[in-house]
Amino acid sequence: MKERSLLWRLGPLWSLVVLLVIVYAVTVVTSYLGDSVQVQFQYALVNLVIVVALYMFIGTSGVLSFGHVAFVALGAWTVGLLTIEPELKRNLLSDMFPVLFDIQAPWFLAIFIGGLVGGLLALIVAPVLMRLNGLQAGIATFALLLVVGQVLTYWSSIGPRSGQSMVGIPDVLDLQTTMFFALGAIVVAWLFQRSRPARLLRAAREDGIAAAASGINVVTQRVIALALSGLIAGIAGGLFALTNRVVQASLLGIELTFITLAMLVLGGMLSLSGAVIGGLVFSLIDLVLVRLQNGVELGSYVVSIPQGTRPIILGAILVLMLIFRPSGLTGGREIVWPFRRTPPLPGVPPTNE
Amino acid sequence: MATDEIGLVVRDLTVAYSGVPAVRGIDLDVPAGHAIGLIGPNGAGKSSALLAIMGAVPHGGSVQVNGEAVDGLAPERVVRRGVSLVPEGRHVFAGLSVKDNLRLGAVGRRSSDGVAETLDYVVTLFPILAEFRDRQAGLLSGGQQQQLAIGRALMADPDILMLDEPSLGLSPTAVDSVFDALATIREAGKAVLVVEQRAEFTVAFCERTHVLHDGVITMTLKPEDATNVQVLTEAYFG
Amino acid sequence: MNQLIQSLVDAISAGATLGLAALAIGLVFGVIRLANFAQGEIITASAYSIIFTWQLGWYVAIPIAILIGVILSLLMEVGVFSRMRMATPATLLVASFGLSFLLQRVYELFFGNNVRTAPVAPELAQSLEIGGIRVQLLSVATIIIAAVILVALVQFLNRSIWGLQLQAAAADFRIARLVGIPASRVIGLSFALSGILAAAVAFVSTVKTGAVGPPFGVPIVILALIGAVIGGIDKIYGALAGGFLVGFATSMLASWLPSDMSNFRDAYVFLLVIIVLIFRPSGLLVRGGTVRT
Repeated sequence: MKERSLLWRLGPLWSLVVLLVIVYAVTVVTSYLGDSVQVQFQYALVNLVIVVALYMFIGTSGVLSFGHVAFVALGAWTVGLLTIEPELKRNLLSDMFPVLFDIQAPWFLAIFIGGLVGGLLALIVAPVLMRLNGLQAGIATFALLLVVGQVLTYWSSIGPRSGQSMVGIPDVLDLQTTMFFALGAIVVAWLFQRSRPARLLRAAREDGIAAAASGINVVTQRVIALALSGLIAGIAGGLFALTNRVVQASLLGIELTFITLAMLVLGGMLSLSGAVIGGLVFSLIDLVLVRLQNGVELGSYVVSIPQGTRPIILGAILVLMLIFRPSGLTGGREIVWPFRRTPPLPGVPPTNE
Repeated sequence: MATDEIGLVVRDLTVAYSGVPAVRGIDLDVPAGHAIGLIGPNGAGKSSALLAIMGAVPHGGSVQVNGEAVDGLAPERVVRRGVSLVPEGRHVFAGLSVKDNLRLGAVGRRSSDGVAETLDYVVTLFPILAEFRDRQAGLLSGGQQQQLAIGRALMADPDILMLDEPSLGLSPTAVDSVFDALATIREAGKAVLVVEQRAEFTVAFCERTHVLHDGVITMTLKPEDATNVQVLTEAYFG
Repeated sequence: MNQLIQSLVDAISAGATLGLAALAIGLVFGVIRLANFAQGEIITASAYSIIFTWQLGWYVAIPIAILIGVILSLLMEVGVFSRMRMATPATLLVASFGLSFLLQRVYELFFGNNVRTAPVAPELAQSLEIGGIRVQLLSVATIIIAAVILVALVQFLNRSIWGLQLQAAAADFRIARLVGIPASRVIGLSFALSGILAAAVAFVSTVKTGAVGPPFGVPIVILALIGAVIGGIDKIYGALAGGFLVGFATSMLASWLPSDMSNFRDAYVFLLVIIVLIFRPSGLLVRGGTVRT
């Protein structure tokens, strides 16, 4: 067997480092482009965390989930409840259980508690939902999203009355901190990707019958994956709450599900690089489209696109990607160490394994 | 079109699934009024060859029907060129009646003339299809479903009839009647290609029977070889 | 008693509407494994058409609505889904999701975010008295319309050669092609039929609400889709039954839930759906086996 050089062994680490550097670099660049770009990019980083969470589950198990935004919503809700001043809660969210008025936590801690709540819901629903495959899984997780949405909208004992929002979340989260959370999420996803449950899930994804015959309990592995990805999604929800400073169930539903799914599809569902690249590219295109909608000066011309075409273009990108390149921009591959000599196995995309 | 051009000509047919080869270059000639057999163990590539000829799976090499190339055509187009397949396991439309199954077989005809005549022919060949015309196809026995599947394929008025393991799961009597019907079909001038696992029937029935092993044709048997145990064993396990 | 009959009639009417919508989804799914979330936008397009053309008379508005439904449906097939023949059902669902999002934004662009209104068939918005019991005329009309369409469809499927081809393709697409059934035409037929059904659903819904906005079809398609899946989206009549069930249950819950719980009506339905999927992933009406997904 050929001696594996140190460089070769560091290969998988390379793809992680590249991703972290890219996210860092783009963040730095946007910080020089003015306030409104910075704000938009902060939202983009929040979405990036959601997409990474999505990848952790969909990318390894191969099972479609339309429900992750439910975990995001719970995370956002938790952080909202924990960071809004008790007095404000008493006045505006008057129908809540009294115990919820007084609970408070420092925002940094609140984010992680939000993650735990998201992860907890995932852990609860996973054992039942994870037996399903394909279309049924998609529908069932979609139903989960809708249930959570309905509950958060109408159950005024745990939040605002329907039509109202949670306001008054403090302005304490800056772009740099959000970036660190995003980097952290990528690291966690990378570690998970190399863990045993993820390897087993990928094996089961490639050949379910062989996996079952080898004694792999797919449902257990999926539960682990969903719980962990629910945790990250919950953290993203907390970040959303602190970025938007207003939380309402309608902001955390079908539209957000669509956007994050589109980002994952764009980048490539089967790799972490795909999730990150897809998230960044989609957000950058969106940034450009916002500028274009407002009119951009190029020399003596003003270039602009009509209002309302921005979401159409974004939607069209998703559909076109699915038609012409369903494996995404990265083709489901990780960013490979360029100096690797050994070619990948036939039929297997290089994943730095 | 000259009469000796009617038939199936296959040259250097190759089929591979995700890079794994199933058929590695075979030649077949099935002229009108002849029956050609293709036998071999499971996984030898027999079904793949038939599916490739029908255009249901991508393939290399060339397939000519009645002198015209059909490579790259969709299955429903290939049917219109004059080839019909009786698939492995029969696959009749179980929820529909016998009559409707036959009606559907006629959809692939080159010309909508002569449907009634073809139906008469099919019913003469397989009388129970008339008897059970309104019965749900899924309720028929295995042998009866096989007759229906053949009848359905014949409704397309093909010049070439291909059958994938027609004896599978059938009682010996049922197999007999199927091959009797095939003899009549051959006599009527059709070209018949029979794929089978069971050697004896096929070798005795067909003018030539090719043995397919691991994607290649290893030998060709004549009807007189049908009783030669040594040759048969070699064909099967050699 | 009166209230019970009334709510039953309303529930059957709601079930009939949703059943038609679910049937449209089931027809297409049976052939190409696409659960078309964008069916909602076809309904919306027909609905817009009805609102804008009603004053020209029903004999103009309804055919135009049907035409719009069929054309948009076929455009979706030709433009998007015909290029995705190799995709898994889950991927197709995501694509239809994207298409739905896209079309809603297009409607926003062309028609604005606010609803467009018009009095559509106001004669139907009254109550009848049958045997001393008051029922909504619209509910009765909906049931009749749905029944007529259903009977026509069943006749078409069972008698005409095109209907038979559709059944065959839905039963076993691969074999149907090998027998000589033209794939693209059958697929086009299923899309066209679902376009017609969308127009029917649009008609009854616009009579009820008199207003159409960009997200008009979304709540309908959500319920129709989950109804189709729990009924057994694999079988044409399974989807119909599932849609009917969800529509019926939703309506009954709306009539009978105590007011403080009525907001959660939809939540209960979704929970029910999850439960059904866990115990019967292939659908309520499918005997054993698994859906090819």
